[in-house]
Amino acid sequence: MSLREVTPHFNIELIDLHETSCCGGPVRSINTKAATYLSIRNLALAEKSGLKNLLVPCNECHFMLCEVSHRIQLNQQLHNEVETLLREENLQYPTTVKIWHTIDLFHDLITPEKIRLRVKRPLKGLTFAAHPGCQIIRPSEIGRVDHPEKPRKLETLIKALGAEAKDYPEKLDCCGAALLYSHKEAALSLAGSKLKSLQEQGFQALVDTCPYCHIMYDAKQKEAVSTVGGKSMIPVVYYTQILGRALDIPSEKLGLHLNQTFTTEDVEF
Amino acid sequence: MTLTDQMTMAKPNPELQKKIFSRLVNIHPDECFQCMRCTSGCTSLKLLELKPHEITLLVTTGFIDELLSSDIIWTCAACLKCRERCPQKASPYNTIMILRNLAVEKESKVPEAYMKAMSQILETGLMQQETPVLSREAKPFNRQTLGLPKLHYPKPKLQEILMKILGG
Ligand code: SF4
Ligand code: SF4
Repeated sequence: MSLREVTPHFNIELIDLHETSCCGGPVRSINTKAATYLSIRNLALAEKSGLKNLLVPCNECHFMLCEVSHRIQLNQQLHNEVETLLREENLQYPTTVKIWHTIDLFHDLITPEKIRLRVKRPLKGLTFAAHPGCQIIRPSEIGRVDHPEKPRKLETLIKALGAEAKDYPEKLDCCGAALLYSHKEAALSLAGSKLKSLQEQGFQALVDTCPYCHIMYDAKQKEAVSTVGGKSMIPVVYYTQILGRALDIPSEKLGLHLNQTFTTEDVEF
Repeated sequence: MTLTDQMTMAKPNPELQKKIFSRLVNIHPDECFQCMRCTSGCTSLKLLELKPHEITLLVTTGFIDELLSSDIIWTCAACLKCRERCPQKASPYNTIMILRNLAVEKESKVPEAYMKAMSQILETGLMQQETPVLSREAKPFNRQTLGLPKLHYPKPKLQEILMKILGG
């Protein structure tokens, strides 16, 4: 929701692709070839639309599309098989679509300077922790949006809103979402220990961009924090939500009423 | 001469090993020199005792049968740290994904949630059904009431193709 609201402010038009499917993330554990097909098929749909850029806000989807495009080039036989199957759906093997993520869209294309110029309500006095996530920064060999060990772009984007973004020891810790399928307790405790520590360090909120991380940190926060013996909550928001507030877009339009951990009493956005 | 695991009397399985290597294009478990860099940063080490260097070793020595029926291959959080950090391009992560595929092929015990996601994808193309979300005040919203465009699902042809792939 917030992504749809903020992009027009930077002259970016989002057009929904129809008939897209799951990226193949969970399918990879079951059948790599099926996962490969799902990923490439989504890219083929983008190519067919005639649009040159595909925005993929989820870290796992973004990873799958990039990883599969990378690996299929090493495997001519698989490439041919996928190409034949695509034809059954009247699709062509995609070659031109550029894959974007929220972080590089705002950092590399729109740029922090331009964001700073558009800010109407600087978020002064707030200190955020940035959570870039795992699959969007690794593995660097397939091209990721930030440094694999020292990601800084999300912080730079937060600072462009007039807020503070401080480093913290758990920054590279995984949200655990991929473990929900098989080891729910462990998944929750991964998320919980990071949230607990962030709270102890006095951050006003955790800022993420990936919907999967967001589920772990926001929707499942109560459960997550209780698995590690924590009690209180820390607000978790999407970058595009705080950006939207800095642009003076009303909270409801940004979906802030859907965040389970955020209350205006906690943080004055 | 073949190796035998003296604890379990297990024997290596060279066919399975060959299968794994052939599916790991440009990933080289056989180059692993057991530096344990993967394990030292593994997300699932502390909580679930996953030791990716051991997985790599079991694969390169051929002790694969037990791995396929073990829960350990389902403990990876897919954080990709081992893929990034391995100096030998052995990427335990990719090996683990192939091991999971083989466990499914062998009809070993596979976590139910994966099979559920798979059947949902076969049915609709998406891994989850559209469900209403609750606001903080527990008020339900759906795509329409949130002003989001309707979803357009893939045509049934996708299911047919996926079935073909899964059928081998
Ligand atoms: S980091 Fe790579 S080389 Fe080192 S133990 Fe792990 S798999 Fe082997
Ligand atoms: S990808 Fe899996 S095996 Fe590799 S470091 Fe992360 S949790 Fe461990």
